[in-house]
Amino acid sequence: MDPTLLTLGALALAGAAATVSGCAEDLESDVGSQSNPNSQVQLGPQMGNIHRYFNKAISGEPVSYGLYVAVAGAVAWALMNGGYNPILGLIVGSGVGAITHGAYSLSAYLGRIVGQSKNFNQPVYMDVISTHMGPIMGHGFIAIFTMLLAAYLATLALGNPFPLPLVALIFGITVGAIGSSTGDVHYGAEREYQKYAFGGGIPVANQGDIDIKAETGIRNGLDSSYFCSRLGGPLTGLCFGLIIFLDGWRTVTGNIIGDLMGADLVMKAIIAIILGTLLVIGAAIINRKVEVYARNKYGPYK
Amino acid sequence: MDISSIILPLVEITLAGAIINASVHFVPVGGAPAAMATSTGVGTGTTQLAAGAGFTGLLAAAGMAAQPGIIISNPVHALLIMLSGAVGAMIMLGLTMLIGQLIYVYGVGIVPAADKCDVDPITKDPQSAFITPGTTGHGIPTVCFVSGLIGAALGGIGGGMAYVGLLGLGFTIPAIAGVLAVGFFFMNAVLASYNIGGTIEGFHDPKFKKMPNGVIASTVSSLVAALILIGMSMGL
Repeated sequence: MDPTLLTLGALALAGAAATVSGCAEDLESDVGSQSNPNSQVQLGPQMGNIHRYFNKAISGEPVSYGLYVAVAGAVAWALMNGGYNPILGLIVGSGVGAITHGAYSLSAYLGRIVGQSKNFNQPVYMDVISTHMGPIMGHGFIAIFTMLLAAYLATLALGNPFPLPLVALIFGITVGAIGSSTGDVHYGAEREYQKYAFGGGIPVANQGDIDIKAETGIRNGLDSSYFCSRLGGPLTGLCFGLIIFLDGWRTVTGNIIGDLMGADLVMKAIIAIILGTLLVIGAAIINRKVEVYARNKYGPYK
Repeated sequence: MDISSIILPLVEITLAGAIINASVHFVPVGGAPAAMATSTGVGTGTTQLAAGAGFTGLLAAAGMAAQPGIIISNPVHALLIMLSGAVGAMIMLGLTMLIGQLIYVYGVGIVPAADKCDVDPITKDPQSAFITPGTTGHGIPTVCFVSGLIGAALGGIGGGMAYVGLLGLGFTIPAIAGVLAVGFFFMNAVLASYNIGGTIEGFHDPKFKKMPNGVIASTVSSLVAALILIGMSMGL
């Protein structure tokens, strides 16, 4: 088969895997309440809001996901070099990554909640642990496996010279940065503060005054995941998928156009760089359009 | 190893550290407050966002360096590796800022507005009336977006330059050069983060004037790192 077609196929699959990965990563961070919005969950009991949110901030989201996926990548790489089937290696590696994730999540929850129990009367709810650990590790497994698959495709078919664990580490850091920057805003600025009217940022004076009531009953992390799966999660997935796909697409397309023109390596690289620059300019124009839309639609505060 | 094959990587690695430090100052990060739409910028930490973009650029640069026919000692090829890194990092940060903006506007319902300038220097749009009372801005207005793209481009160039310098020193196994480049990038991004001290909106933020301090710190530390790397490459 034509190698270009194979590369395009691998690129499409890597992009699709990255999309699922980004979405699962963001929803996991909503169930477990990680990243920057966790500061509000931590502040809640001090403001008199005794809650049933899961509460973990193992480290910054990029670094923690870098750890899980690098662990998974290292195990998978070792198994592959030991002669095992690559798919088996990816699955077993992801399983080890998910268990690592679970161990950190449990210790982070107990540590953070117990730290607030004595002075602020926040109970340690054992049923919160039993109901949340499954979705946290499950979403984490999906995120780690699909990210590892994308990293494997990058090393196998997309010309990346780095070994699998290093690409996995870099992808983990990148997806954590993306999830923290995009989907977690939906959780932190909207879901945690739904009792405040839609259409404004959260004033400093209101921080920590998080919602503790759900649509029905008392709110927990699973409710937040349900809410954020309608916008924050999918957009996070779209972001990571687009980044993986478009960054590879510009190189592949540069090579195809270069071949048609009979161009050399330098010219192909220049075409790829120009295509990438055009994509970035396109993103800047869309960003401006969205800004103008918001200014006209919402108007100034009065 | 002759002296000329040491001097060029030394200069490249030292310069790369200074560029990476400078790049972080351009990236609009609002940290935890931005995640609650309480301050302008992207809702994550300085080092982490810069690293996410820089490493995507590093992957792009390494992919270019690994193409058959690329010769590191050829200045045109070295430039292409750095520019590939710049474009990779710009794509990552550009799309992250755009998708973040979509969530701010459609998910939170705010107008992107900068707190550190009354009028956006690029679009000339007034800002203060659009800021939620009690907050210091929110979202990613055009000036922040453009500043972020400049920062990403510089970060990608810096990461690519460090990678080229490491390859030039004889760390030709991509795994070793890659690990060293990742550590080197983090070192300089963290130094910049200390210099910024929390949040920054971009080149229009008064904190941006502190950039020379960070660049000097990174130049010195990168020079030391480069000397150690040269020692490692000579088997010391």
